[in-house]
Amino acid sequence: MSTAVDDDLWSAIGDPTRRRMLDLLLSEGSGTATSLSEHLPVTRQAVAKHLAVLDRVGLVHAQNAGREKQFRVDEAQLARAVAQLADVGNAWDARLSRIKRIAETIERNK
Amino acid sequence: MEHGTLEREIHIDAAPDVVFDVVSSPEHVREWWPDEAEYPVEPGGAGRIGFGGSWVQFTVVDAIPPKLFSFRWTHAEGETAAPGNSFLVVFELEPAGTGTRLRMTESGFRERGWDEAKIAAEYADHESGWDHFLPRLPAYATKVGATP
Repeated sequence: MSTAVDDDLWSAIGDPTRRRMLDLLLSEGSGTATSLSEHLPVTRQAVAKHLAVLDRVGLVHAQNAGREKQFRVDEAQLARAVAQLADVGNAWDARLSRIKRIAETIERNK
Repeated sequence: MEHGTLEREIHIDAAPDVVFDVVSSPEHVREWWPDEAEYPVEPGGAGRIGFGGSWVQFTVVDAIPPKLFSFRWTHAEGETAAPGNSFLVVFELEPAGTGTRLRMTESGFRERGWDEAKIAAEYADHESGWDHFLPRLPAYATKVGATP
């Protein structure tokens, strides 16, 4: 995937309301703009806009069922976004282990 | 999980002033991260860190021994480090028993995008695994033991 797509994916997941929406969709299985707005301190219109952002980067997919679009999380795409964060996290875990080891060695040799 | 910020917290059995020195001084930072580190440990101190011959910009944001050390890195050469052009790393130190609770956060991923974050992660793999570090440890311990 291109850099632009990665950047969009990251900004999509970086917003707290959109993260809350992903959490809700994951726990409920699926949801609509109306059902999600009942759990969030934002309007149905705002939720619909956030859903459009998530849809554009492939984090959710819509199905036309009844009067309103029903959204589900694309778990593979979400896993990909989370894995990117994990790569950076693993790097810091290794650095922090070394910081700990060095500081404790110095302390013991004081 | 906060997706815009990476957060870690560890306990270290060493006094805060020791831990502060290890996370901030270029001599120690070279032992746990880059191959080279050149910067003054003072607020606004601009310098660079080197990985296998390539240099990355590094600027100290805050240095309050033995409580806080923060820096920005990966901004372009000639640019002033600021939100949007660099990653911000913050180390916060608190006494915990006879040791130190070290909290680390890195932020700026949202602003910079994932390609940059991936590149940054790859620096960690360069000559930095335990396989590389462990054989050097006894010699290093002797060295620091000999220093007042």
